[in-house]
Amino acid sequence: MELYAYKIMIVDDEPALRKMVSDFLKKEGFCQVVTAGSCREARQIFYQEHPHLILMDVMLPDGDGFMLLRELHEESEVPVIFLSARDEDENRLRGLGMGADDYITKPFLPRELSLRIAVVLKRVYRVRDAADAGKVIMLGDCQVDLGSGVVHRQRQQDGGESAPPMEVTLTAKEYAILEKLAANRGQIVTIDALCEAVWQDGNYGYENTLIVHIRRLREKIEQDASHPKHLQTVRGLGYKLV
Amino acid sequence: MRKHFVQYKSISIRMLTYSVFTFVAIAWLTIVVNVVFLLLLLLHYHMPWYLNGEVVAAELTLTERGYELSENMQKNLDERSQWAMLLEESGEMVWSYAKPEEIKDSYEMTDIARMTRWYLEGYPVSLLVWEDKILIVGTPRGAMWKYNIQFPVSWMEYVERVWYLILLFDFVWILILAVIFTRRWSRSREQARIEWIAGISHDIRTPLAVALGYADALEGSSHLPEEERQQAAVIKHQSLVMKELIEDLNLTSELEYSMQALRKELMYPAAVLREVAASFLDDVGEDALKIEMNIGKEAERIVLLADRKLFIRALRNLFHNSLRHSEQDGSTCIRLSLRKEKRWCLIRFSDNGIGYSGEMLRQLGSRRRKPSQNIRGLGIVSKIIWAHGGKVLFGNGEEGGSFCEMRMRICKKNTMKM
Repeated sequence: MELYAYKIMIVDDEPALRKMVSDFLKKEGFCQVVTAGSCREARQIFYQEHPHLILMDVMLPDGDGFMLLRELHEESEVPVIFLSARDEDENRLRGLGMGADDYITKPFLPRELSLRIAVVLKRVYRVRDAADAGKVIMLGDCQVDLGSGVVHRQRQQDGGESAPPMEVTLTAKEYAILEKLAANRGQIVTIDALCEAVWQDGNYGYENTLIVHIRRLREKIEQDASHPKHLQTVRGLGYKLV
Repeated sequence: MRKHFVQYKSISIRMLTYSVFTFVAIAWLTIVVNVVFLLLLLLHYHMPWYLNGEVVAAELTLTERGYELSENMQKNLDERSQWAMLLEESGEMVWSYAKPEEIKDSYEMTDIARMTRWYLEGYPVSLLVWEDKILIVGTPRGAMWKYNIQFPVSWMEYVERVWYLILLFDFVWILILAVIFTRRWSRSREQARIEWIAGISHDIRTPLAVALGYADALEGSSHLPEEERQQAAVIKHQSLVMKELIEDLNLTSELEYSMQALRKELMYPAAVLREVAASFLDDVGEDALKIEMNIGKEAERIVLLADRKLFIRALRNLFHNSLRHSEQDGSTCIRLSLRKEKRWCLIRFSDNGIGYSGEMLRQLGSRRRKPSQNIRGLGIVSKIIWAHGGKVLFGNGEEGGSFCEMRMRICKKNTMKM
């Protein structure tokens, strides 16, 4: 099933917020969005529509979102993202450990919300995003196919004639680094986050090894590895793919 | 316990004032109640309802016809159903008035000794040696309660030596009561205040979410002219500012009254510093400012036990403050350094901006003074570090710019898996 085909239910007592979120999600491509303004309505719509994900306010006019979650989880394993208007809700969520998939504090940027929805849907329903499967990153004259982990590079020839592209395969570590950087393209990824992605350990001890991997990666994807254009170093912080 | 102590420090002065006030109030109340009680006792002592030997003897005279009681006294005794009799040294009765039938006319020495302090045939009596005779005045049965008190003199002397300790105990007891009352009272007041602030910010968040959502949508809309998209961007930006303000307001009140439960976890501050700096740089753009990180090899291994969310919040507030007071043309440089000093982790945040004014430094240096509006974010930095049992120092650098030094105790557990 495609990511955007999943049905989302919004439960919030504020009609303006329901409309805003619903409009936004529809615009983002989620074609099935249903809304409810109370626990009662939410129960009713839940049994009728069987949504794949619920966005739920914690405080509802006829009850508590946490109670509703517990009730709905007795019926199905539907993922729930809480929309909370109080900082304390986070404490309660953590304390109760009731299996909410995520929470987001109001006010929020709609893009952040849709990103989180996508993350939860992908995790719960194991959706391979169509875009992910054959994702190709373009870095100047070089194409990186994230599906196969192969770098296709245009070879420069003295005569200016085009030659068949050169193919280089990325090692597992290089792939992990590039995947992490590509997922946050345009943003700085700290050394710690890269270590975490590659070695599943945020320990800084891997820094020197990381530098070696980055240099090899640059040799594969950059025209001039000494003056990188795409995989840039942000001094003292980390790296960035531009 | 230590955390408790640090958190209470900020309101200790007010608590002390309330406690002293309540102490004085309770002490006054106790004194007033005691005095009234004593007065009532004294009043009763001076105006005995029943007449005793002394009063009766004053109206008893020996005439040629024998002993005579004044008419007035006779009336008084009748009114109280009292009676009187006079015994000779030998124990023989020589005179009586209204004596009940069961009372004998003649007494042995043992009888007299028995009745001296107690009762005669169930009648409470008072005895008075009058001239060479004994005057006995009786009251109706069950009308008087008599009790004999006696203590050894040595014990009384001991009491005399320790009476001030008893007073001291009373004093301390009242003080403890005063503190308990005050604490309960001020906690409930502060709880109400925090709940009120939390309620207000809750009510603002939902409408703000709607405004922010639509402003964001308008900013990205391709149908709108550039100018209107810019205006939407301003609304979005201001909504985000309001979001920060609401969070600050909540945090301030919760940290001030120690209502914020710290969710401490083990963390590498070096990694957190990089994370915050990177996300800040992403937000404002790398051209807007320069960030220099100075974290030594040893400092990389420092582990703190802290509330990660609050720690990040403190760092972000410092970044925001630096940026707000400087040009975003790339000339601003923020330096972040992390080092180990014995058992302390020292985080120094400095910039090359305009520095803090004298008044700002005075406000930031005091736990009692509330920071003014423009440095509320920095006030929160202090509160967060204090809540962790750390120390904060704000100041201006020798070569201009401002700095903030935060000291937090290093967690002894040096290795951890994150």
